[in-house]
Amino acid sequence: MNPFASPVSLNMQGQYNTPNTHKYSVILPTYNERKNLPIIIWLLAKVFEEHQLAWEIIIVDDASPDGTQEVAIELARAYGEDKILLKPRAGKLGLGTAYIHGLEFCTGDFVIIMDADFSHHPKFIPQFIRLQQAHNLDIVTGTRYRSTSTPYLSETQPGGVHGWDLKRKLVSRGANFLAATVLNPGVSDLTGSFRLYRLPVLRHIITLTQSRGYVFQMEMMVRARALGYTVGEVPITFVDRIFGESKLGADEVVGYAKGVWQLFKSV
Amino acid sequence: MARLHQVSIYSSILILIYLLVLFEALPIPFIDASVAQEILPVIPWWLLVSFGSYSLWSLGWGVFTFRDCPEAYHELLQEINEAKNDLRSRAVTVD
Repeated sequence: MNPFASPVSLNMQGQYNTPNTHKYSVILPTYNERKNLPIIIWLLAKVFEEHQLAWEIIIVDDASPDGTQEVAIELARAYGEDKILLKPRAGKLGLGTAYIHGLEFCTGDFVIIMDADFSHHPKFIPQFIRLQQAHNLDIVTGTRYRSTSTPYLSETQPGGVHGWDLKRKLVSRGANFLAATVLNPGVSDLTGSFRLYRLPVLRHIITLTQSRGYVFQMEMMVRARALGYTVGEVPITFVDRIFGESKLGADEVVGYAKGVWQLFKSV
Repeated sequence: MARLHQVSIYSSILILIYLLVLFEALPIPFIDASVAQEILPVIPWWLLVSFGSYSLWSLGWGVFTFRDCPEAYHELLQEINEAKNDLRSRAVTVD
């Protein structure tokens, strides 16, 4: 189809002096995010407007009891009903199904998934988009462990983490080493969930993914690589638990190891 | 084919070759038989120790080069304040 004749392009012509006529959808699964939601939407809107990109945010709320949905409706009134879409669900049903639910309402051709708790900063989204366009990548993922992007992009800053002590860093590196040795995924940060996907690619992978929790994110990446989709990485800064402490229990470690073994067997 | 199956097949072939050479069913060209018989039994342990030292180095290096980003944290706190003020003016409830 002629990209200059798409609805997004026709709407944008005459308004923006930009060659990027793609529309970017952000899927935000939320649960009890009444305090964080307005601010993350503000940051996203600011980044998208600054870079003159067509955007929308789909908020998939799992029946939060703290009034997240009311705030989402106020935000939709402030930014536009076409930009902020609230698509609630009846109960706490999990991350994977939240993405599947959100995907049904996407009108963009790229999807960005991220956390709504400020650990992922929207300022990296333009870098993701630049990298994707420069190399026609299917997926771009954020990595906390690298200082440069793969393939190379000049405007990236080194990645890093704030709020992790030495023990947490050791566990993180150990987990990554285990996954990298066993699965050979080709990305440096396998559990990261700040990613840009081409819409058909995300639809394809998500129908194949079976696990839950953060193993779900790992599985999506491993399956994508196994199917031959091209992946790039951009270093991001990760501010963990801006309110409160980061905890990692033994159960999670065992669950992680089991998840890696499952992926080793099935992909 | 899943990764488990791939790895199993490759390692089975390599182990088979190793055992054949170890029990002298297969000759190795260019190397003296006595020298080969001294080296071969040690190879698995050598692989294990090499892998162990590589892992240790990799972990140590990874933790050493793990960057902290306090400037990102402070920038984020400032932006949160800015966002709260702007959102209040747009009639959105923030606290």
